[in-house]
Amino acid sequence: MGLKGLKTKDKHIKNLAKIVGDRSILYHKEDLLAYDCDGFTIHKHLPKAVVFPKDTLEVSHLVKYCSDNGLPFLARGAGTGLSGGAIPINGEVVISLVKMKKLLSVDYENRRAVVEPGFVNLKLTNSISEKGYYYAPDPSSQYCCTIGGNVAENAGGAHCLKYGVTTNHILGLEVVLPNGEIIEIGNNGVPDVPGYDLLGLITGSEGTLGIVTKITVRILKNPEAKQTVLAYFDDVSDGSHAVSDIISAGIVPAALEMMDKTAIEGVEAAAFPVGHPRDIEALLLIEVDGISAGIDEQISQILDVCKNRNVREVKVAEDEAERARWWANRKTGFGAMGAISPDYLVQDGVIPRSRLPEVLNRIKQISEESGLRIANIFHAGDGNLHPLVLFDARIPGQTDLAIEAGSACLQACADVGGTITGEHGVGIEKKEEMRFVFTDEEIQAQTAIREVFNPENLLNAGKLFPSPGRCAEVKKEMKEAAL
Amino acid sequence: MSTRESDVTERPACTTTSLSNYHWSDPPDENKWADCVHCGMCLESCPTYELTGQEQHSPRGRVHLIKSVAEGKIEVNEQFMDPVFACLDCRACTTACPADVDVGGLIEEARGQIRQAMPLTGFKKTVSQFFLHNLFPHQGRLNTVGGLLKFYQKSGMQKVVRKSGLLKVMPDHLADMEEIMPVLTKPVRQKYKNQNVIKAKGETRHEVAFLTGCVMDVMFSDINDATINVLTRNGSDVVIPKNQTCCGALHVHAGDREMGRKLAKQNIEAFNDAEKIIVNAAGCGCMMKEYAELFREEPEWHDKALEFSDKVEDVSKYLHDTGYERPQAEINTRITYHDACHLAHGQGVRQEPRNILLDIPGVEMVSMPNADRCCGSAGIYNITNPEMAGAVLESKMENVPDDVEMISMGNPGCMLQMAMGVQKYGRNQKIVHTVQLLDWAYQKEDGLRGQE
Repeated sequence: MGLKGLKTKDKHIKNLAKIVGDRSILYHKEDLLAYDCDGFTIHKHLPKAVVFPKDTLEVSHLVKYCSDNGLPFLARGAGTGLSGGAIPINGEVVISLVKMKKLLSVDYENRRAVVEPGFVNLKLTNSISEKGYYYAPDPSSQYCCTIGGNVAENAGGAHCLKYGVTTNHILGLEVVLPNGEIIEIGNNGVPDVPGYDLLGLITGSEGTLGIVTKITVRILKNPEAKQTVLAYFDDVSDGSHAVSDIISAGIVPAALEMMDKTAIEGVEAAAFPVGHPRDIEALLLIEVDGISAGIDEQISQILDVCKNRNVREVKVAEDEAERARWWANRKTGFGAMGAISPDYLVQDGVIPRSRLPEVLNRIKQISEESGLRIANIFHAGDGNLHPLVLFDARIPGQTDLAIEAGSACLQACADVGGTITGEHGVGIEKKEEMRFVFTDEEIQAQTAIREVFNPENLLNAGKLFPSPGRCAEVKKEMKEAAL
Repeated sequence: MSTRESDVTERPACTTTSLSNYHWSDPPDENKWADCVHCGMCLESCPTYELTGQEQHSPRGRVHLIKSVAEGKIEVNEQFMDPVFACLDCRACTTACPADVDVGGLIEEARGQIRQAMPLTGFKKTVSQFFLHNLFPHQGRLNTVGGLLKFYQKSGMQKVVRKSGLLKVMPDHLADMEEIMPVLTKPVRQKYKNQNVIKAKGETRHEVAFLTGCVMDVMFSDINDATINVLTRNGSDVVIPKNQTCCGALHVHAGDREMGRKLAKQNIEAFNDAEKIIVNAAGCGCMMKEYAELFREEPEWHDKALEFSDKVEDVSKYLHDTGYERPQAEINTRITYHDACHLAHGQGVRQEPRNILLDIPGVEMVSMPNADRCCGSAGIYNITNPEMAGAVLESKMENVPDDVEMISMGNPGCMLQMAMGVQKYGRNQKIVHTVQLLDWAYQKEDGLRGQE
């Protein structure tokens, strides 16, 4: 498997190898290249090395070594993040957690499970489904993304409209702090721990405060019934209004997804087509679940709403197989863009639902201005937009054009009182856009929190917050220098 | 955002040939990697990623590396060769990929470059020359089973071979089936040497040409016999074109694309008159459906290859689509089905063989978890990468249900590998080809009728 004893003179690599073993470290350029980016491919940088610890203790030793020797480091799961959180922009030592992939325990009585960070999201549901349970957060990459990564990014998913995002399902964490110290937070699932909500702080901190090595999650009982509706619209605004109407009618669907024409072209050209008409302007994928009583009534209400909004065709999934086909088509939507474009950049803005029509119009305008196609596949129910800017990195200038168009989409979200990320995280991608929603002082307040955990800033530096330049950090540094 | 695209090297990220470190003709196709957006949906489908957890051993990692050579970021060297040759070529990633990236095609093209940049030397060269050039393409030599035995001894499959292709570790109550089961018959190409057409039993509804395969006809000639039996029984005249040769899959997997092309041309010509080409080895069928891929730089052959590939069909799909007689005799057995990678991922044939098995009265099907996970055979992978192949096999065997008596599949490489797994892990399942079971049912039916 390519690891034929250590061939290096680098003392750090030798010492790191002593912690994890010769077969659990990569340091050849060719191997490292596979780690130069994650699901966000616009920035690339080689790591110094990639190490594969097998347990918390090894993580702690690795972290301590890096910290003592001033080596920048970061944690990586499956590398499917969409904002560049796992890209080693400072030549970090990448601590890959994929070998820590055990389901440690399931406690059905108290509805919780303990997993290692490298455990794949969907595998949890698959492991407990026989007993009628599941793990609710379902990012579209759930086939392959790790729960550790989900915690770092506070990942969402199609069904988070009703059930909440990752943070609502985390009951306890074991964390290796940037100095190598191992701490446990969250009191293992016993609710209402007094004091600050550290679980909430760590979840979504994008790997800048510590490395999560054990996770206690909430598991849920499968809903008794489930119905899925597919609705085709000739007009995007009609589709958008239908979204608001459904929520206003008092229904909380488990999922309420939207795709526009360009997105439909992509998924239909790709590996999991379902035969959507190509000439519609938008489709809605709506799922309701819960106790059996009342489901039919909700469905008929939804059908009525769609009809009132001039739906061309609306249908209810006939069986589980049809439902699964619809979802596979939706959930592989981002990757499917590869079928119609060599590269894409996905954005992740959030807006108040009622502003959907106007923001979608603005995105259309941005697309026209930039000359780049923009597809929209998104969680309409919670106003979480995913404009996918399609481009070809081989054409000089297009990458920058795409970045600008993506940024303009976020500005459009911020302008209507929304925000710049719903579930993909800020990472490298959106750190400058943090200024759309935070003042310098607010950003400074947050970096001050980071300093408490990560004072040397060796752990995943250069992510989440804008780099010093125009911002308050510089002022602060200057002030300190003056003193 | 002010930051711009940064690269590992200072060179701009473009793909002009001047930067590329692929120096030979037929390089990996830029359009294939342009489909990959690095989403990672392939990761969990990949057996080598599952085992190593290392992304250079994942589909998207390999695609990334292959692209990086073209971008001049890395050279074609040992370190690049390792992940490219550690790929099982199982195509599971092609099934998982939302954008239909042809990872398999890229891997094979990259292997072609590697083999030209770093030709095999010494012992490895001798071995490869012997098998790929001097043995597989020559039916006569192949028939010298002695040579084959040495080949399989090297891979630790000796014991399996000694049991001549099919295991005798079957449950007692199935012993009567053993009697009607042909064991190591004469290769069909010898058997029907003087017969231009093997006529259908009863009315002729179709005529098909049959690829007998190189190893298949020697190691598993009984399966070839069974194939001919079920085809003729269901109204097909069977022709065995004389000039046919090895499909070339093993050569292409090994990066020897030149030899692959040579064999492909020979087969395209040999089967020129056929309307339908029936294959009972998934690996061969998949290769033959992809011949065009070898002729990207020879337009004339490219077109011929496309036409040829259109006619190629796996026997189970052919039977399923054209209709077959449902056997009347019962074969009371519990069975599970293993999807050969080159059947399920390579040709999209999944349900057809299952339906055939379920149509046999008495057959009870137990589903195997992850049935379409590679068994580690992967052509000659189990010989070239024994460590990884062994680990893949171990995880495959964990998925074989305890309480089944047979494991059915549609590829000879898988049959040998699974037989080895059964042996190694102290299991007692019988390994059968799908058409074999159908043929047994027919034979049993005929036998019962004879008794009446």
